[in-house]
Amino acid sequence: MIMNDFNLDKEPKIGTGFKTPKGYFDDFQLKIMQHLPVQEPKVIPLFARRSTWMLSAVAVLVLALMIPVYTIFYKTNEEIDAVSMENYLAYQSNISQYDLINLLDSEDIQSLDVDLALEDNTIEDILTTNNNLENYIYESE
Amino acid sequence: MLDPKTQNVAFERLLADFKRPLYSHIRNIVLNHDDADDVLQNTFAKVYQNLKNFKGDSKLFSWMYRIATNESITFINAKAKRNGQTSEAFQQKQVENLRADDYFDGDAVHLKLQKAIVELPEKQQLVFKMKYFQEMKYEEISEILGTSVGGLKASYFHAVKKIEDFMKRD
Repeated sequence: MIMNDFNLDKEPKIGTGFKTPKGYFDDFQLKIMQHLPVQEPKVIPLFARRSTWMLSAVAVLVLALMIPVYTIFYKTNEEIDAVSMENYLAYQSNISQYDLINLLDSEDIQSLDVDLALEDNTIEDILTTNNNLENYIYESE
Repeated sequence: MLDPKTQNVAFERLLADFKRPLYSHIRNIVLNHDDADDVLQNTFAKVYQNLKNFKGDSKLFSWMYRIATNESITFINAKAKRNGQTSEAFQQKQVENLRADDYFDGDAVHLKLQKAIVELPEKQQLVFKMKYFQEMKYEEISEILGTSVGGLKASYFHAVKKIEDFMKRD
């Protein structure tokens, strides 16, 4: 078949030529609706639901009980630490004033100066009452 | 649409409204009635499964056509693969089979037009069928295929030229 002057827009519309069996669409609708999954409400066993609730309640209760225990424990711990630290420093015989002097460098002393903001007469008092002063001067030389 | 009863009523309505246009769309792609029936069932199964997830971010119309298009193309590719053929060769064969198809009553011109279409690249085939046979607007086709209107017009123009050339040939 030769169509020398074929122009799709000028030609009468050409259809697809497709047919469907008689009653196909009605049958199709029925077939699909019959095959829809029946959606029943989900059955949740009472026991399973109760156990979940009970577990949650127990978990909350345990957490609630833990809070004061934790707070007390935490606080006590901190106090003990501070006291033992003081005791350690005060009664530890291994740490002498010489050790402390050796650990401090000039920067530390400067920062101590700033932090403590000592007044002149306080320094004078310390210098006059401290017996080891001469030793310190001797050590620093 | 979370309530199953409401969902089923909505689905039944969609089925009634869209079974014919979607069938035509699918049949134009897969050509054979039995295949179109299979794909239409798959399409509505997907629509049903995803109806509760449909958020209205695109139109229901284009969403359903998009599913139908994808299902049709997947079907052709799978069937071609099963037969050890390329999709193009499989579709050529499907056109050849139309002559003996009980549900095809086209004459020589109809058949020649189908032969001309099957020579086109896949995208041009889709655009031509949707524009010429289904008389869809470019904006609608654009929403379904996700291609710009300009791109669709170019595809249709090329498709028409190639078809006219084919029809002029012996």
